Amino acid sequence: MRSELRLHPATLLFGLWTQVKNFAVPAILVVVGASRSSGPGDVSRWMPGMPPWMSNGWEVWLLVLLIPAALVTVARYLSFRLRYEEHEIVIRTGLIFRNERHVPYSRIQNVDAIQNVFHRMLQVVEVRVETGGGKEEEARLSVVSREACEELRRQVFRKRSPLAAADPDAPPQTVAPEVEGQTLLHLSLRDVLLCGLLENKGMVVIGAAYGLTWETGIVDRFWAGLFGNDTYGQGFFRAIYGFVFEGDPLPAVPIALGAALGIALLLFVRLVSMVWAFVRLYDFRLTRMGDDLRTTYGLFTQVTTTVPIRRVQTLIVSAGPIHRWLKRATVRVETAGGVGKENTAANVREWLAPLILQADVPELLRQAVPGLDLSHLDWQPLHPRAFKRALKPNLIMTAFMTLLAAVVIGWGAVGILMLTLPWAILSARQYVRHLAWAESDEVVVMRSGWIWQEVTIARANKIQAVTLHQSPFDRRAAMARVRVDTAGASPMAHRIDIPYLDGEVARALHHRLSAHAANSAFRW
Amino acid sequence: MSEPDSVADGQEHPLDPRAIPLQRITGGLFTAAVALGSAVALGIALTVGDDIPGSVRALLPAAWLVLASVAGVMAVRWPAVSYRHTAYRVDDQGIEIRRGVYWRVVINLPRSRVQHIDVSQGPLDRRYGLGTLVLYTAGTDHAKVELGGLEHGRALRIREHLLPSGMDDAV
Repeated sequence: MRSELRLHPATLLFGLWTQVKNFAVPAILVVVGASRSSGPGDVSRWMPGMPPWMSNGWEVWLLVLLIPAALVTVARYLSFRLRYEEHEIVIRTGLIFRNERHVPYSRIQNVDAIQNVFHRMLQVVEVRVETGGGKEEEARLSVVSREACEELRRQVFRKRSPLAAADPDAPPQTVAPEVEGQTLLHLSLRDVLLCGLLENKGMVVIGAAYGLTWETGIVDRFWAGLFGNDTYGQGFFRAIYGFVFEGDPLPAVPIALGAALGIALLLFVRLVSMVWAFVRLYDFRLTRMGDDLRTTYGLFTQVTTTVPIRRVQTLIVSAGPIHRWLKRATVRVETAGGVGKENTAANVREWLAPLILQADVPELLRQAVPGLDLSHLDWQPLHPRAFKRALKPNLIMTAFMTLLAAVVIGWGAVGILMLTLPWAILSARQYVRHLAWAESDEVVVMRSGWIWQEVTIARANKIQAVTLHQSPFDRRAAMARVRVDTAGASPMAHRIDIPYLDGEVARALHHRLSAHAANSAFRW
Repeated sequence: MSEPDSVADGQEHPLDPRAIPLQRITGGLFTAAVALGSAVALGIALTVGDDIPGSVRALLPAAWLVLASVAGVMAVRWPAVSYRHTAYRVDDQGIEIRRGVYWRVVINLPRSRVQHIDVSQGPLDRRYGLGTLVLYTAGTDHAKVELGGLEHGRALRIREHLLPSGMDDAV
């Protein structure tokens, strides 16, 4: 069967718009910056000898630079062809430098669709196809019609299914493909807002806003007020410094103001985070379509991601203190496609469930890893002397802080010691108590964390490498650490990394896991 | 694919002993370059800086001499120490690499997880008949695992053994 897919004509519009956007923002900043320093359009100051007709309104001339960009967009639109072959999709691009890319169906990890407001108005969608290789998506169809997107999905996942049937890793209860999706999770508006409150993405948003406003100079004035660089003796932190070190009167009013400002800022950050969640995660829905997990969400930009179940590498369930108080948790999933970049589809695809009742977690995990039953796991604790080991670095840290404090504030350091010592002991105790691991035929599981608790579930047949680490301290105590490496783990994520194991236990585990990995064929 | 004299014997093997002189040469060259560079920098600092007190003037070259000789001794001794703590084992399941003198690590790479393999040889490697085996997996921390100091022919045989033999291992 040979059918060809071309880009939607709206591609021209969106392509041009992207170019304008990429180009206009810096241009506007330049223009604003220039006009702030030396009046509108006055370039003759740093470009003398420029004729007046050019120096007035020279910004318009920047538009000339858009022409090559526009040509590229047109060329891309004209040259793009996607063909469905027996075992692969073939994508041809380029007018002058031709490029033909073959992507086998069996290697496709995810098919994500993204639709922003303008896309929705024109009934088109941006599709990203990812395989395990590389940092970038393997194909980005920007933009195609909605029908074409559905067709692509159908082609990719139908062609794949005979393979999946022959796959020993495939779930045993394979559902007939293309049945109506079964909704596993739907977030109500309340849940979405709660999620924003708990996730605390506010700082990210504010960070971005800070970067933008930095240009305008507002921030400089704000910091000047806080630190008093220009006006010595008035800045907030200077007043505090004066009180602590130079015996000045206690700056009561600035402290009260500062505290109020701090609290207001915290609340504001949370509020921003809720707005973020509302825009980003609005109408979050997780459905199971045959052998795929599909998530759709977004208020303005609608995202649809598809994760084939057998492509799930790792699952991470995390719950902070408020989560646990509300009996909720967050579930993330890691696949091998496109790792490590901010704001890509991979980054948001992680959300299997931004917020879910703890009672519903086992059912969700069963859907994502067939046959997984966390309740029957036999949790193993760490070595009995693990607490002693964990305590030592904490004590060293405490001693260091006390010494530092002793140098700076003298006898007051005793107070610091009184505060930090119990904390050091308590946190080491709780760290060891909450760390546990378990294994079954299907998975390796590690849970950790006292205040922020996380459980990582790695599928045994997705293990890439197993390592056994022994530091000099480990060897003295006859202990070892076992780490499991999987595909697509993001650098910051919670990994299977079990410290303070008895040496023999660790060696046996290391051996079992590597044998298990070796005896199961890895299928991405 | 495994022949009678297969590399997949399940035994722990040390690296090729010729890896030690090779390491000494590269380590020695590196140490000499750093020592020379710092000596030049020190010499310039001492001639240009007029306000350096006399005691420091005497101490700095002495400190340099101590550091340089420690580094020199290490460059000679360390390769042998590290050699004693490095071993590998190949069997039908995959390869196990152990290394590290103080911080020890045992890496197990199943054969079915190896994506592709390089055997690379630098100019010095060629002189000694050695090669470096570079294993690539789809993992994150161990996306690339190197094992240097193997006899070149042996490295090639390990590569032959570890690479997927048929379609059954296709990802």
